[in-house]
Amino acid sequence: MKKVFLLALVIGLMSLAVFGCGNQPPASDDQQSGENDQAEEQTGEQASFDGELKIGIMVPTTGSEATYGKDMENAIQIAVDEINAEGGILGKKVVTTTGDAACDPQMATAAASKLVSSDVTAVVGGYCSGATLPTLSIYGDANVPLVIPAANSTKLIPNNPGNAFMINGTGAHQAQKATALFERLGAEKIAIVHQGDGYSEDLAKITNDVWEEDGHEVVAFEVVNKGEQDFSSLVTNVRSKSPDLLYWTAYYADGGMLIKQLRQGGYEGEIVVGDGSNSPKLMEIAGNAAEGVYVTSNPLVEYLPAAKKFMEDYKARFNNDPGPYSALSYDGLYLLADAIERAGSTDKEAIIKALAETEGLEGLAGKVSFTEDNVLAESNFVVLQAKGGSWTNAE
Amino acid sequence: MSTFDIILQQLINGLLIGSFYSLVALGYSMVYGIIMLLNFAHGDIYMAGAFVAFVMLAVVSPVLGAGWLGIVAAMIASMFLVGLLGVFIQRVAYRPMLGAPRLSILITAIGVSLVLYNSVMAITDGEFQAFTTDLGFAGVDVGSVHITYTQIILVVATAILMISLNWFISKTMYGKAMRAIALDKDACRLMGINVNKIIALTFFVGSSLAAAAGTMAGVYYGSIHFFMGFVIGLKAFTAAVIGGIGSIPGAMIGGLVLGLLEAAGTQLPFIGSEWKDVFAFGLLILLLVFRPTGILGKTEIERM
Repeated sequence: MKKVFLLALVIGLMSLAVFGCGNQPPASDDQQSGENDQAEEQTGEQASFDGELKIGIMVPTTGSEATYGKDMENAIQIAVDEINAEGGILGKKVVTTTGDAACDPQMATAAASKLVSSDVTAVVGGYCSGATLPTLSIYGDANVPLVIPAANSTKLIPNNPGNAFMINGTGAHQAQKATALFERLGAEKIAIVHQGDGYSEDLAKITNDVWEEDGHEVVAFEVVNKGEQDFSSLVTNVRSKSPDLLYWTAYYADGGMLIKQLRQGGYEGEIVVGDGSNSPKLMEIAGNAAEGVYVTSNPLVEYLPAAKKFMEDYKARFNNDPGPYSALSYDGLYLLADAIERAGSTDKEAIIKALAETEGLEGLAGKVSFTEDNVLAESNFVVLQAKGGSWTNAE
Repeated sequence: MSTFDIILQQLINGLLIGSFYSLVALGYSMVYGIIMLLNFAHGDIYMAGAFVAFVMLAVVSPVLGAGWLGIVAAMIASMFLVGLLGVFIQRVAYRPMLGAPRLSILITAIGVSLVLYNSVMAITDGEFQAFTTDLGFAGVDVGSVHITYTQIILVVATAILMISLNWFISKTMYGKAMRAIALDKDACRLMGINVNKIIALTFFVGSSLAAAAGTMAGVYYGSIHFFMGFVIGLKAFTAAVIGGIGSIPGAMIGGLVLGLLEAAGTQLPFIGSEWKDVFAFGLLILLLVFRPTGILGKTEIERM
């Protein structure tokens, strides 16, 4: 009797595991490495390609930032399919393999090692800066070209071994846009709140410095611990210093809760959030409290004339909005394709050289050129405002 | 805000977060008291409670609305279903292990926790769900301190649940049986008490309370996700230890103490609110140095 019971339990657990895998999107193999690669190779044989070109994708497909990660993965998949339909890169069929960075340094390190050991030609990925940072040396040691579409902490710059290219504006670009907005809103005393991770702390500190350099005052510089739901004590602390404006530099999930609790606690100043909070979910979570909140954001697909077709394709295929980083992820793969074509080979050194020489490549989100630090030369941040449950342009 | 307002506001903040800790700590304490198991899956039961209430609210809101009526209905449904989940977990994972060494059952508890939150992760794709209700921010103002009706109702609801639990444990036959089993399981069997049934009942009650806390957290904070039970699980466990694990009033007091200490920690001069946990847990370690059994714990030998 006991054995039958145990057997039933084991079978139950196994079916749960199978169910879990069945839920993954077709192109990802973040947990069951290898299985999907084989499937893709089999279908690849039917087309007339001169071999395969394997590109790694490193995004969070689980955890608090999974929404963004999946948007990015989907966008890259669209670019891959378009490129394959046009005959691939150098006549080779592009295949992808995904590593789950989970917005966690340890998970990201494992994902990067997995991608490197599965012999990818190049990698597009990097959403959370804190999780991307430790992977730079892994890709650097293997000399794998890395295009980073979202992560934009300035901490990534000195740690870049030369093979990584950041196509999102950095914290410095964003801090300038943000402080310009604060001045436009007539703020004098501001509070800055971050979450203690690489990205949000970095943006908070740069904004703090820029704001004080401009001769204004930062009355509160606070941090919330990740995973906590209750910010009421922090709200009280902020309120007691009566700032004109509060800038939240971290992500939407906690941002939504913070905004709700700020309004609940009677805070009446302006609220501005960083690009990590640029999600409709922020408004869902915060409800009415999100009304009037500003976000400093990288350009949304909705506001890019060049991205109209991409947006329609995305919606038709994934039945979902593309999210804030999909245009850059899509651009990232095209940037890579362009560099590999110009390099004329899949030699990693040549690809890195070609990437660095990129000059004004037209992407959905604007022109891509790089500074000497491999950072995007021209900033592309915009200001949006929450009105009636959706973001509207507030430039 | 004047200093008085700040102190009053932080007291309210501490009381509110403390009541969540207390409700979850009760489950830890009851289960430990009766079978000496540190049920590390308890935080995930809290999470499951929030998700079940989320689904239930979606079911009942077309009829009852997403105001208090709908929320209370969803909460009661969630308490009942998650109570059953607790009983099921106890039956499947813990009961076969009751005779095994205590470390084995502890590891089983960690396994149950993994199964619970990974299942929810698979179902929700790891995404945050917005727990949308019709509750506004209306409330009463005391000086510059704003207390919403939601906050008042949540604290009152917690108090009602705790008073009912106290009555249940001290006045009913079932409560008496629970206390008896905590003292001596074998003697209870000899006296004709159905020990397995009472243990199952303990899990039902503990899980229901966690589900109530999970529902209230969803309503109050407005967002739920699969990992929400982790931090509160750790803190509630701490609260249970502070109060004296195994003691019901101890768990209630421990939760409130921890909540108030954390709120006090954010007001520390010179260092930021990021140190509030260090402050709170530092004081708690000190307390345990001088009183290892917790505030209301009894001195006993040979416990984990």
